[in-house]
Amino acid sequence: MAKVGFSDAVLKEVNTLFERYPKKVHALLPVLHIAQRENAGWLPEGWDAYVAELCETTLNHVRGVITFYNMYKTTPVGRHHIMVCTCLPCGLCGGTEVLEHLEHRLGIKSGNVTPDGQFSLEESQCLAACDQAPLMMVNEDLQKRITLEEIDRWIDEARAKKA
Amino acid sequence: MAEETLLLLKNIRTPGYTGDLAAYQKAGGSKAWEKVLKSMKPAEVIEVLKASGLRGRGGAGFPCGMKWSFMPPPSDKPHYLVCNADESEPGTFKDHLIMLNDPHEFLEGMMIGCYAMNSHHGYIYIRGESQHAIKRVQQAIDELYKAKLLGKNILGGGFDLHLTVHPGAGAYICGEETAMLDSLEGKRGQPRSKPPFPAQSGFDACPTTVNNVETLANVPFILNQGAEAFAALGPANNAGTQCVSISGHVAKPGVYEVEMGHNLKSLIYDYAGGIRGGKKLKAVIPGGASAGILRPDEIDIPYDFDNLMKAGTMRGSGAIMVFDEDTDVVRLAERTIRFFNHESCGQCTPCREGTFWLKNMVRQFMDDAGDEALAKRMERAAFQIGGTTICAFGDAVSGPMMAFVRKFPEEFAKHYAS
Ligand SMILES: Cc1cc2nc3c(=O)[nH]c(=O)nc-3n(C[C@H](O)[C@H](O)[C@H](O)COP(=O)(O)O)c2cc1C
Ligand code: SF4
Ligand code: FES
Repeated sequence: MAKVGFSDAVLKEVNTLFERYPKKVHALLPVLHIAQRENAGWLPEGWDAYVAELCETTLNHVRGVITFYNMYKTTPVGRHHIMVCTCLPCGLCGGTEVLEHLEHRLGIKSGNVTPDGQFSLEESQCLAACDQAPLMMVNEDLQKRITLEEIDRWIDEARAKKA
Repeated sequence: MAEETLLLLKNIRTPGYTGDLAAYQKAGGSKAWEKVLKSMKPAEVIEVLKASGLRGRGGAGFPCGMKWSFMPPPSDKPHYLVCNADESEPGTFKDHLIMLNDPHEFLEGMMIGCYAMNSHHGYIYIRGESQHAIKRVQQAIDELYKAKLLGKNILGGGFDLHLTVHPGAGAYICGEETAMLDSLEGKRGQPRSKPPFPAQSGFDACPTTVNNVETLANVPFILNQGAEAFAALGPANNAGTQCVSISGHVAKPGVYEVEMGHNLKSLIYDYAGGIRGGKKLKAVIPGGASAGILRPDEIDIPYDFDNLMKAGTMRGSGAIMVFDEDTDVVRLAERTIRFFNHESCGQCTPCREGTFWLKNMVRQFMDDAGDEALAKRMERAAFQIGGTTICAFGDAVSGPMMAFVRKFPEEFAKHYAS
């Protein structure tokens, strides 16, 4: 198991965060986000307990939070984590087709990671950009009014970059 | 396109506007904040807000000045103002437009709100997926600290104020204000039973007020131009302008700012360019996924809180979703209930079980295995969720799910078992 714990620099960042709240546990959501950022987008074993200690709360509390929110992941995500909105209205403006196309092209169902660890796919609810439908979010980057051809090109480029 | 009535989006619609502090101030920004700090008492600010008639833009339309007046007088407990920037109601994207392009406007409103409610720390709760908005708003806050418009002893007036951006982590229910407070405390976002109301016991059990981004963005105008100038816009009891998000099968989806009470049909045809591809209209959902659907012959009405309620639906977050003649309304119902079932926090039996049952019923129609009795059962199940739950999410499921079945029986009939 890899080492669990923040570097000194990140600890400093976390401590400035704590100063913004009456209690350390209030900062649990942003601290978990930082933990994921430091671990390629997910929370490997042991990090829940580490964050609980840091935020002065219990392991069960942290686990309850991790499982409640969509954005916390307890299994690895791909280098490119793709979220496709199929909510209302995107789902009726091409979002569903985008998801099906990605599933087909990547050979995985929503909720999974490609065997090479490059891509993971997630069907998402409204992302507050419905005028840009259909759309996908790759890590933090929102790709708007995307066409199936653009998706193909993007996948090819992302794969080529790795190779 | 028809002209917008620009009050909130005036800067954003100015070509070349960057949204940084210098540009904001050049366009007249920060003046209300200075005026309030230098020449007004907190109670006076609240009186102005009350007189303006500003109602909350987050969904419920609660009078903003009145909400602020519920905050108790200063005591040894800190007071908090939380800005609701969760913007997760399907179809809504106007708060993001404001946050990304003119963040100082709502921040100034928020600072004034903090002053009026004797709060020295405000939190801006932004949904976690929106890293771009989180970064943009943080950058604007950094500018304010640098310009000494935030921090200690602001402009020498003796008032201290800090603002903190708090990221959510992907849960629609955290847009509900008490769930948001739990989430801000590092908990699962589960709505609290009221009372106590947040003004008595909110964040960290201290007096707290929650306001939407767009609501707060109105505040600088009201203090600069006066309550009367604001109240003069829109019909009685529905003052001001509104930033309306229009999406779906329209030619020009986007945010449009119009006076409260502007005709709904005109919004769709004169602003959003009508139905794309010259198709006919089938249905309009006029206030986010929580609002009941309307038929084409029902949309020639003024778009505001009271008129939408009169029409049996709601204005909600100001999100108009438009669907053309090729749309299967059962599929709309399926997307809607899938959303609600996914996002129910699970505390209340009618909401938790009801969304699950409704989802299964709609799926039966999707599989062409429905019948009239099932449609009736669906309507009854939806009805029974209403008014029985801890938070308004239950009503947000109940209203639209009943409306789908009641307004479009012929669409469900297409999915009866043959
Ligand atoms: C299920 C649910 C979700 C909500 N989501 C949001 C939201 O995303 N943004 C928002 O501003 N208000 C949302 N609200 C409304 C808030 O609870 C609250 O009324 C609002 O933030 C108050 O601000 P205002 O008075 O300025 O409108 C939601 C309410 C419910 C019941
Ligand atoms: S109505 Fe639904 S979302 Fe609201 S508290 Fe109850 S279970 Fe949770
Ligand atoms: S429905 Fe997809 S961004 Fe809103």
